[in-house]
Amino acid sequence: MSFELTDEQLITRDAVRQFADSTVAPIAAEIDRDHRAPLENLPAMAELGLLGMTVPEELGGSGSGTVSYVIAVEELARRCASHAVIVEAHSSLCCWPIVAFGNPEQHQAYLPDLAGGAKIGAFCLTEPGAGTDAASLTSSARRDGDQWVLNGQKVFITNGGFADVFVVFARTDPEAPSAKGISAFIVDRQTAGLTVGDPERKLGIRGSSTTPVSFSDLRLPATSLLGREGQGFAIAMRTLDGGRTGIAAQALGIAQGAYETAVAYAKERIQFGRPIANLQAIQWMIADMATDLEAGRLLCYQAADLEERHLDFAIQASMAKLFCAPMSVRVASSAIQVLGGVGYTESYPVERAYRDAKITEIYEGTNEVQRLVISKSQLR
Amino acid sequence: MTIAVAYKWAPEAQEASVDAAGRVDFSRAKDKISDYDAVAIQVGRRLADATGQALVGVTVSGPQAGQPVATKAALARGLDSVLVLAEEGLDRIGPSATASLLAGLVRQLDDVSLVLAGDSSTDVGARMTATLLAGRLGWACLTDVEQLDWSGSDWSITRTQTWGVETFKVTGPAVLALSPTAAAVKAPGMKDILAAGKKPVRPVALTDLGLERPDQGETRATARLTGPSRQGVVIDVSDPDAAAAVLVAALRQSGLLVEGSQE
Amino acid sequence: MTVSYVIAAGHAQVGDLVATARILSERVIGLVVGPETVARQVAQAGLDQVLWLGQPGQSALEAFAPAVAEIVRAQPGHVLAGRRSADRVLLGAAAAAIDALLVVGPTELAAEGDLTLVTAPVNGGLALSTVAFSGPLACLLDGGPVPDGPAGPIQSASGPLAEIGLVSLQPAASQTVDVAAAPRVVGIGGGLKSAQDLGLVEALAQSLNAALGCSRPVAEGLGWLPKERYIGLSGAHIAPQLYVAVGISGQLQHMAGCRQSETIVAINIDPEAPIMAQADYVLPGDLYQIVPALTRALA
Repeated sequence: MSFELTDEQLITRDAVRQFADSTVAPIAAEIDRDHRAPLENLPAMAELGLLGMTVPEELGGSGSGTVSYVIAVEELARRCASHAVIVEAHSSLCCWPIVAFGNPEQHQAYLPDLAGGAKIGAFCLTEPGAGTDAASLTSSARRDGDQWVLNGQKVFITNGGFADVFVVFARTDPEAPSAKGISAFIVDRQTAGLTVGDPERKLGIRGSSTTPVSFSDLRLPATSLLGREGQGFAIAMRTLDGGRTGIAAQALGIAQGAYETAVAYAKERIQFGRPIANLQAIQWMIADMATDLEAGRLLCYQAADLEERHLDFAIQASMAKLFCAPMSVRVASSAIQVLGGVGYTESYPVERAYRDAKITEIYEGTNEVQRLVISKSQLR
Repeated sequence: MTIAVAYKWAPEAQEASVDAAGRVDFSRAKDKISDYDAVAIQVGRRLADATGQALVGVTVSGPQAGQPVATKAALARGLDSVLVLAEEGLDRIGPSATASLLAGLVRQLDDVSLVLAGDSSTDVGARMTATLLAGRLGWACLTDVEQLDWSGSDWSITRTQTWGVETFKVTGPAVLALSPTAAAVKAPGMKDILAAGKKPVRPVALTDLGLERPDQGETRATARLTGPSRQGVVIDVSDPDAAAAVLVAALRQSGLLVEGSQE
Repeated sequence: MTVSYVIAAGHAQVGDLVATARILSERVIGLVVGPETVARQVAQAGLDQVLWLGQPGQSALEAFAPAVAEIVRAQPGHVLAGRRSADRVLLGAAAAAIDALLVVGPTELAAEGDLTLVTAPVNGGLALSTVAFSGPLACLLDGGPVPDGPAGPIQSASGPLAEIGLVSLQPAASQTVDVAAAPRVVGIGGGLKSAQDLGLVEALAQSLNAALGCSRPVAEGLGWLPKERYIGLSGAHIAPQLYVAVGISGQLQHMAGCRQSETIVAINIDPEAPIMAQADYVLPGDLYQIVPALTRALA
């Protein structure tokens, strides 16, 4: 058994860290304050290859492997959770299902552009009446000759404001039991009948664009069907399994960034004539935060490693997310506590980390859904 | 034709500490390709592509520089291959020794048109390695190079000195030390990182080069570097204007405020 | 070694070089590249011999490196040079020609039989090390002005030149700030809250007739000042008469670049900051109050 990262994984960490420090960190506070997506950084992210890590080399990506990918998400989140979720939604939720379930024509049509960053992807599952209970979605796709006619309303779509390609889930068989009648489609933004609504004003990850997306008699060619008819729900669930590792990595990175700020501050801040790092109250918080991070990292990398080796990883991914998401909120909260009053202000990035961390307990499966998945596997 | 880049896998001096006896402790400093060398590699890649040459890294250090993670980190930044002299006792050798061994490595390469180097190295900071290497090779040398291009018949080199901006041309083989401003260093891309593992690494031993371990003298003592002893006069600042008056009077009395233009 | 060489490329700042060379050997020879006026100035430095290699004309000063190497190879000795670009290139060529050991900024030199004992900063100034070496040394150190003295004779010399053609020289439009050369320097560090407040320390620098420098994060992390203003280990090494460190904590890596300052004034809100133990005048207080007060007091 080895817990060592490979050379490539170590170098990936250094490379993404260099990028995050030099290019992401300087605008992180500003995009948060202005609720603005960091579109100016997308070309540089594409050039670095951050948008093609889940796509094989022969289709224009880097095929870096899941561990390198989660390390990249973690390193982005260490500086800015919004950058991390843009990459995560694009890579895990749009590129990945097209790689896994697309046919060769769909691979050629979409993956080189997505992997190279010429196009950005999004994932449309959630509806106003179908959040955690995704199988109850009501968007519909009706056959009309060799076309599909799509109608429905999606909400909370990450990257919605600027995505070019949407993987959309809709009911193709109203007669079938709820999960069975759902199919997946690849939809281009330009298609007539697609409307993107105003972005949400959010507690955190304010640099990620979260919008409603609606379809009104949107006509798709038959070739837009991703996978088989009726396979949609399975595709969504498999996609979210992988996404959970990515969100765990995002949570981990947010916590790591907050932790580092707290440690640096504790060493410098003088109270009672010496650095507060000399106080046991602070030392204990640092110890707990470091242990939390170590545990989260092991769970997250283990899930990624299983996925990379094509082994069953879904339960480990749920566990990684169930541990890392609350851990991230906890560590960010402790970081604020270490900084005290200034930690509660925008002078330091820990208040942003705290707000950003909260979403990781909710999206791509709430803590409660993860517990459901895990307990089912244990009580079988 | 080949462009060689001298690089170093060395600890980041910003993370070093010094103990009471003056021993520099790099144990908490992580080894990396220094920012200076990253500039040289990036400029080298651009020139190699523009002139159809191979870009080969040369490095001299302890065994850690020969580990795959070190050579891959260098290759991921754009080198086509690396020639590595990594032996026990060769880490943290001084610029004189480094330059003589780098010259041995450059001589192993055929048809070298340029050797590029960073302006400084991360753990030593003497800014002399490139000039000593040029001396060993007997080649032309310029430092502080900010712009470097192939005109079709010669290398066009621009640098800024205090007296102005100089442009030179060099035809023959040369050693050029690049200013940190010569390129905005980019992180290695994801594809480059994976490609690095497939590029050739040629380990070389001192004996292959027919070179001896360079004589660096015998270290007799180390000490903390403290500079001149300081007076340590603490000025009460409860009234800032009074404190300022006290300081200005003291500086004036020491002759430190003599009027005169800057040199 | 019976002979030492002092290199002067395009300037006559060899005062301290000659003084150091005198410690190392009886006979000191100047190797001058540049205009004849420079050779004449160097000849006032009390050298035993001055060899003038000529003017670069349409070449770089660095083109003389092979000629310098040839002279030194013919009669090996210690070689000393200043820190300018061309000085460093000529020194490198001479040192390589005779297997000299490079020493940067030696603080002490002494003979011990056939050995020379050299104490010098290592690792860019993090610590001091004393080394015993049997061969010639190549010393890189700060030059210093030549005192007025009787002019000695100048001999012309020649040798092989490298091909480095000067295509153009565009004189600097405005004098660029060289913090390493300024007699007075104000340094600003992380104590400054925002780039907008730079005016505060600029005003102080102006009233002191000082150059403005900074710690590494201000130049490289925050980018509030150009990189050449950064004082420290891998940045400028300064040795001014007066260094006023404002809001700089004084980490080892910064002190490596400024500890040779004659007088250091430290203004810092943290009385425990490392710089407070390494300064001549210590003002433990808020820079936002002290700096304007100081500027007023200097007006």
